[in-house]
Amino acid sequence: MIDILEVSLPIIVFVLFSLLTIPVVKAIRKRKNGKTSLFLGWFSIVFVIATIVVANLAVKYYEQPVPQAFLNITLASEQFAIFSSSFLIDAMSVYMAIIFTIVGAVVFLYSIFYVGPKEKTSERYYSIMLIMIGCVIGAAFSGDLLTLFIFWEASAAASSFLMFYKKTPESLNATLKYLVMIIIASAFIIYGLSIVYGIAGTLNFWAVKQTLIALENKHLLVVAFIFIAAGYAIEAAVVPFHMWLPDAYTEAPASSSAFLSALIDQGSYYILLRVLIYILTPTFVLNWIPMLAVFSALTMIVGNLLALAQKNVKRLIANVCIADVGYNLVAITSVAPLGIMGNLFFFLTGGITTALAFMTVGILNTMGIESLEDFSGIGRKAPLTSLALLFGAFSFAGVPPLAGFIAKYLVFTAAIEANLGWLAIIGVLTSIIQAAYFLRLINQMYAKTPEKEVKMKEPKKLLIPVFILVGVIIVLGIYPTLVLDLIEPVIQQFPFIP
Amino acid sequence: MQNALLITLLLPTLAVPLVYLIGKKSAKHAAILVALIAIADIVLLFTTVPAVMDSMPEHRYFESYYWIPALGSSFTLFVDGVSLSMAIITLILILTAALFSVNYMREKKGLAEYYALLTLLSIGLVGVFITSNLMLFYFCWELMLVPAYFIIGGWGYKEPYRAAFKFFIFTHAGAVFVLLGIGAIFMVTGNLDMFQAQTILMTAQPELVRWILLSLTIGFAVKMAVVPVHMWLPDAHSEAPAPMSALLSGVIIGAGAYAIIRVSLGTVFPAVTAVFGNQFLHGLALFGVISAFFGSFIALVETDIKRIIAYSSIAHMGYVLFGISLFPFQEAMTGTVLHLVNHAASKGLFFLSAGAVMSQLQIRDIREMGGLAGQMPVTATASTAAALSIAGVPPFACFISEFLIFVGAFQTINSDGFYLLPTVLMLVATVLSLAYALRYTSHVFLGSSKSEKAKEVPFFMKLAMGILTVFVILVGVWPTFFIDLISTVSFV
Repeated sequence: MIDILEVSLPIIVFVLFSLLTIPVVKAIRKRKNGKTSLFLGWFSIVFVIATIVVANLAVKYYEQPVPQAFLNITLASEQFAIFSSSFLIDAMSVYMAIIFTIVGAVVFLYSIFYVGPKEKTSERYYSIMLIMIGCVIGAAFSGDLLTLFIFWEASAAASSFLMFYKKTPESLNATLKYLVMIIIASAFIIYGLSIVYGIAGTLNFWAVKQTLIALENKHLLVVAFIFIAAGYAIEAAVVPFHMWLPDAYTEAPASSSAFLSALIDQGSYYILLRVLIYILTPTFVLNWIPMLAVFSALTMIVGNLLALAQKNVKRLIANVCIADVGYNLVAITSVAPLGIMGNLFFFLTGGITTALAFMTVGILNTMGIESLEDFSGIGRKAPLTSLALLFGAFSFAGVPPLAGFIAKYLVFTAAIEANLGWLAIIGVLTSIIQAAYFLRLINQMYAKTPEKEVKMKEPKKLLIPVFILVGVIIVLGIYPTLVLDLIEPVIQQFPFIP
Repeated sequence: MQNALLITLLLPTLAVPLVYLIGKKSAKHAAILVALIAIADIVLLFTTVPAVMDSMPEHRYFESYYWIPALGSSFTLFVDGVSLSMAIITLILILTAALFSVNYMREKKGLAEYYALLTLLSIGLVGVFITSNLMLFYFCWELMLVPAYFIIGGWGYKEPYRAAFKFFIFTHAGAVFVLLGIGAIFMVTGNLDMFQAQTILMTAQPELVRWILLSLTIGFAVKMAVVPVHMWLPDAHSEAPAPMSALLSGVIIGAGAYAIIRVSLGTVFPAVTAVFGNQFLHGLALFGVISAFFGSFIALVETDIKRIIAYSSIAHMGYVLFGISLFPFQEAMTGTVLHLVNHAASKGLFFLSAGAVMSQLQIRDIREMGGLAGQMPVTATASTAAALSIAGVPPFACFISEFLIFVGAFQTINSDGFYLLPTVLMLVATVLSLAYALRYTSHVFLGSSKSEKAKEVPFFMKLAMGILTVFVILVGVWPTFFIDLISTVSFV
């Protein structure tokens, strides 16, 4: 039986190490040499322990003596359980914890090299990244709406520190925009939650769901739903609430953008999925499918068109993140096992592909290459970085045998299955636009001859995490069974929470 | 052999890094390695011929490996007469393209990448023909695209990346419609095997299956460059380096036709024959006629040496589409598949000889050429053989297959009067193809010489053209092997 300690251990580990990191990093910085290797040593300890803890939980979950798909673990004893903070362990949250840990580790490796040990405030940066991983895992494990809210807002607020790490005026501006949006969003959510609590007398996923199914007068529920959905839609950057994202991701340092797109973005889709599918699944409770379908179509179209019009490559990638929200929404909209499979696969591949793109663009940015014009001839000047970006671009465009293809295939098939053929067609058409602007980028990289044939010095260390991710998207593209096997139990638990 | 087909795919896959490394040292050796791999693959494919011939009643040879059960997909490789013929001609073209490149590409840079990409391309090309799993099929389908894009862009003429961009976007746009169709098939049947899905589709709603059929066919038609989705072809074919043009025109567009035969008609069509069959086939016939006339007319007035051949490819895809529309008549279908093979060989030869001419003259306008027959006898012979085959003159290869298509067409007229007019029009189009073939040959090779410095091309180019010339004449006089192979497949 899994107890409360084992569930909260991954979160505790990350938070604890996050606090320890500050003195440890300071101590390391005082030394004369071997800083980077000591950094690597310390953070590998952190991630090894975290991996062990998460793996332990996963093994415990799958080897329960009496198999139980959904484990509700509460802080309080039986009779108050319904009011207490609770954790939900199911195949999906276990899967999310696993990918958050693994992807987090790779992105972390990049930021160790990118931010560097010399910078004065780097310990705060690392510490915040660790605490954020802990928070998103906490959000994944939450079993009631309030716990979810707390963990999620913690990581959303912490994001702002990653965004303005460089303290440039633009980044402060973008962060402010983000914070304003997030605060509005959390106000919306908390208002919606209070209504839900008024209706159901609890915020626990199970209890809320049971109450909603039995509910007769739905007027209040509609209001609550609009507030909650709008709040989480702002945080997930669904069009028309997407304005903060391009600014924030463009102005943030590349390692932050990679981290945010790989973990926080995926976490926000995950929350949409949880709230919509787990609590409001029987669509007779509230038929949100048409509304969400329209939003996902809008998000795909607007995100891709914005990216098409973009000259700054980092901003282009940020707009692709918006388009990715759209593809994820398509899968959520379908409310089908195949769609959930697509979602979960997308969480991993979409995350690592955007992270990969931000990482490579970050490397090029340090060489002063930013706009599309600057990219001309990069293919010959910085061959390895370009090659990595090339793989990322083709994966985005959904070209097999890269992982992005499988994700898109699952998503579109799910849409067809849910009788949303028009949505699948919009998805397919926007994905052609996506191919077009990525190909324009590739053309720029390889077709145009640079003015000077100078080879740039590519930072070899930064390329290690980049090529780990390239390897992952190739392997998952050719042999997706590796991850689909992990997702399979999730699908078998459909429909969720009886 | 037990795993012949798997090895056929694995061999080039494993060889890609090897080719790259050898290419860094010596481009010539890399080219020869690519050619050797192609030969090894041909031998491997031939080992499955007895199995195909003997296995009753389907005449198919299967290999299946564990892959993605969650998506109803296993790594299923299979050959039957049709796919075997296509795969063999593909490998012959890869072989000749690699040999031709030894001399043709000699002065270009980055040849290690070029040959590695060529090897990668061969995996996609062969894979498309030898799999029966739609997911794997789509993988290979797109795998043809990416290396081709880089080969056209990296080593082409004028503004190659523009042409490559057009090629990629058009065919990728087509491919996503294919993907949509495949997704829908998976949704309906829960299975992505072409043959198993076919049986299950029979029980599905015809209304939905009709959309699947249209989506797939439109996607394939883009690759096949049927008018009006042909716009990428003239640019891509004329800007690409000659060996790549040969592959593009020979097998890449042929793969589109193969896919229509195999997937659209083989898997999906039986489910809607009753409600939608005639309209669909008549539509194909009409687009075939339009393509044949459109391509032939432009080929007749075009002056760029490679664009003439490119437009003739559109015309010939028109024949193929017309042949496909005669489904399921056995002679017509055999003729159509044979025409794909013959057209691939003839058009490959045509492009290679045009490349040989261009490598000597450095000009592209056929009005400025002339009298090359004396200076370049081998190229002239090869080019004439190709031109006459394209024009459908006996005893060259394409004559046989066009003849078979027309036999099928006349049989069809008996049962369906609609085909009378298209058949007559297609016969007229044959005359047009003779006209542009002769115009091309007379402008380039006959008359008085306008260029003194042109010499016969070096050995490897001659060798490559020689192989294809022999093939074109051999199949013209003795088509029995391919006809026997293809007619084991029952299309009904």
